[in-house]
Amino acid sequence: MRHIGIILAGWFCLAAFTASAAHTQVRLILSASTARPGDTVLVGMDMKMEPAWHTYWRNPGAAGMATKIEWQLPPGVTADDIQWPLPEKLPPAEVTTYGYDNEVVLLVPLKLAADLKPGPLDLKAKVSWLECKEACIPGSGSVEAILNIGTETKTSGDAATIESWKSKTPKILTNLVARAWWEKPANGDTRPLIIEWSASLKDQTPTYNIRLITEGSDFFPDANDNFEILPATENLSSSPLDVYWRKLVKKYEGDWPKEISGVIVTKSGNVRTGLEVKLPVSDKAPTGVTILPESSAGGTPALPLQPLWQMLLYAFIGGLILNIMPCVLPVIALKILGFVGEARSEPRHVRKLGLVYAFGVLVSFLVLAAVVIGVKAAGHRAGWGMQFGSPVFVVCLTTLVMLVALNLFGVFEVTLGGRALDAAGGLASKHGAAGAFFNGVLATALATPCTAPFLSIALGFAFAQKAPVILLMFLAVGVGLAAPYVVLSWNPAWLKFLPKPGAWMEKFKIAMGFPMLATAVWLFNLAAGSYGKSVLWLGVFLVVVAFAAWIFGEFVQRGRARKGLALVIALILLVGGYAYALESQLRWREPVTEADATGSLKESADGIDWQRWSPEAMAKARADGHPVLVDFTADWCLTCQVNKKTSIEIPSVRAKLKSMNAIALLGDYTRFPDNITTELNRFSRAGVPLVLVHPKNPEAQPIVLPEILTPGIVLDALDRAAR
Amino acid sequence: MIKLMKITFALFAALTLASAALAVETGKPAPDFTGTDINGKTVKLSDYKGKIVVIESYNSDCPFCNNQYKTGAMQELQSDLASKGVVWLLVNSVNPNNSSHRTPDQAKQEIADKKIVATAWLDDSSGAVGHLYGMKTTPHMFVMDKTGTLVYDGAIDNKPDPMHDPRTARNYVREAMDALIAGKPVPVAQTKPYGCGVKYAN
Repeated sequence: MRHIGIILAGWFCLAAFTASAAHTQVRLILSASTARPGDTVLVGMDMKMEPAWHTYWRNPGAAGMATKIEWQLPPGVTADDIQWPLPEKLPPAEVTTYGYDNEVVLLVPLKLAADLKPGPLDLKAKVSWLECKEACIPGSGSVEAILNIGTETKTSGDAATIESWKSKTPKILTNLVARAWWEKPANGDTRPLIIEWSASLKDQTPTYNIRLITEGSDFFPDANDNFEILPATENLSSSPLDVYWRKLVKKYEGDWPKEISGVIVTKSGNVRTGLEVKLPVSDKAPTGVTILPESSAGGTPALPLQPLWQMLLYAFIGGLILNIMPCVLPVIALKILGFVGEARSEPRHVRKLGLVYAFGVLVSFLVLAAVVIGVKAAGHRAGWGMQFGSPVFVVCLTTLVMLVALNLFGVFEVTLGGRALDAAGGLASKHGAAGAFFNGVLATALATPCTAPFLSIALGFAFAQKAPVILLMFLAVGVGLAAPYVVLSWNPAWLKFLPKPGAWMEKFKIAMGFPMLATAVWLFNLAAGSYGKSVLWLGVFLVVVAFAAWIFGEFVQRGRARKGLALVIALILLVGGYAYALESQLRWREPVTEADATGSLKESADGIDWQRWSPEAMAKARADGHPVLVDFTADWCLTCQVNKKTSIEIPSVRAKLKSMNAIALLGDYTRFPDNITTELNRFSRAGVPLVLVHPKNPEAQPIVLPEILTPGIVLDALDRAAR
Repeated sequence: MIKLMKITFALFAALTLASAALAVETGKPAPDFTGTDINGKTVKLSDYKGKIVVIESYNSDCPFCNNQYKTGAMQELQSDLASKGVVWLLVNSVNPNNSSHRTPDQAKQEIADKKIVATAWLDDSSGAVGHLYGMKTTPHMFVMDKTGTLVYDGAIDNKPDPMHDPRTARNYVREAMDALIAGKPVPVAQTKPYGCGVKYAN
């Protein structure tokens, strides 16, 4: 007879009662079919929503209502608070809510008194919720289940389900380092709050793979009657070791809160982990941490002050890498020649030239820093490589680079004396020094259209700083750029692999003129963007200058008689060429402004259907629910061009974009438009390339791709965005 | 044409996203707007200067709104205030594709059926007024004093529940009204609005 009773009780506990409203079904499930007195049994309210219907989290957000459970429990059983699995942040952005799609199991621990008698217990609850799709409907239902009290615990068939939902509830980590403080005084009824947390949890429980800042990371606040922590989370982190978020708090009543609570959500792959936090809010930033004020234009996030040495290190490494970026490569040709020339000199002289080169680089960087500081002080936006947005600069640099090429070809010499071969030793060293200095300047001028890994982080940081820090950061980049040559010149032994100087040097020098000429062609092509068809007159001007250079070299420098006449002719050619070709025909100081046409910017018939980037186009594409690929690029940015050729404008990416119905937006930074500078600054960048993939979900943060792309990186980001 | 309108709405929505939360501020002049009511009449907020104005973000399919009406509590408040010369504007920002959208005829029928006492029902299916005021939920209430200053912004009462009897709750709008009419400062100027999210066009 007793056996039958147990069997019956076992059968009952499987036959849990369910309740349903129009679009949500709810049933009570238990982790154990039999439990002992004194146990705590985890039970779950399993809510299944029809597609597109959702119910709400403990903080429903701007609208909605948290699901409520009213228990009717037999004596000796007490229900603890609901443990809520991590919700989703639900659109639309103007009324952001936190809720669940498809299914959720709300977990509740039930405590059993130690003196419970064996036998079946009837657990009942009334659940009420709000379910919403296009409209909202209040739902409620009664559920019940039977729990058997016995001498040993038996898990139920739902134990695994409960366990899997339990893993989705926030954890409490005792060793989580997190703090919060007010960034500044209130502005009306809102006030910016900074939350800092660090996930370098050395001895963290190994089962939680807590990843640092990823695009799915967020803070989900608890609800409060007197204030609301608004849903938008601004990520200010620049280092992957420390996470800084800016949240706006809106106050309804009373004083500004002294404490906030909620859940830090981290994401690793598709797995999210929640961390429960309750943080006192300080009035001031902790000592040693400075959140820099927003830039004057407002709206752009400022970076928290990372340790300066770390940023200086980034700047240095970035400068080092610049040496092998495509922009600077032509200058390497010059440097190789320089080393060959220097190899025969005494070490002291070689060292000196290395230092002079470094000096040239540093002086140029100082000038750049001064320009940036000046531009900022004048209230404009500054960016890396911005001088390439100026056609006037491009024309000057084209001319200069062409002259360097002609010089390498031997058309004329750059000396102070006039006759290079006759020059005295002292003069030659002077010549060498001037050349080394000029090389440094040229390397810097050509380096600016490139950013490199590390450099973009460092520059993004630098451009938001005060003058002394900008100066320091630029110098660090310069030191990085110059370092390899200084080191080499200090250890001439490393240069022994170079062949002995001889007649071949003259040939090598001429050969090296060609990469320089190629650079001139590239710059000429840039100018074409600003002047359209009239760029022909720049070509004419270049030919006239080349002719004048030849006359100067052949008849003034190497000539024997009538040097004065030759000089006059060369000057007349220069002035005439300038006045006619540049001033009267090209009108080089008033470039044609390209009309901001909309429509496709396709490069070929089957190419990616690029649309012109604008904040409006961006907003529209996202509002329409498209994933968006954004390529901020510039004609002068070689890294961008390389990225495009190797990893963006390729068949697999084209096919992927088409299949996911993505929109491709091209932000052309060639002419340095303000709205793109703003957008770059928003991502803490001072220049291009910047490639972003905005996921389909308009709430999700964009994926920022690295500076140097591979097809795999792009395809992987697109894959993630399509989800 | 419809597509163009959708795009315009989407743009508008996107552009106002950032500012929506901070659109209006209590203690400051309420922004003026022009809308069309269900009789095709133009309604301009500034036309009511000199009168107390209540704005209600309305969608009767929302259970929180409906609870106020099915119990008759909202109509009582409306007729009480109407007798004191207060202007009551219903703003319905539900987009035309949503099943809760009301055509002018349906809206007139609803006013008659529910015995709503309102100065005007604004058809705000574009969401323009809703976005301007940062209306988050239905019901989301706004009260303007006679000078046009926003003196209350928030929930109708302190019970965010679609089932309660509103008469037992603390009604913030009534409190604000009583204070205004008595010439006293409004005791609670701001609360967190509760309810269903406004069904804006996207």
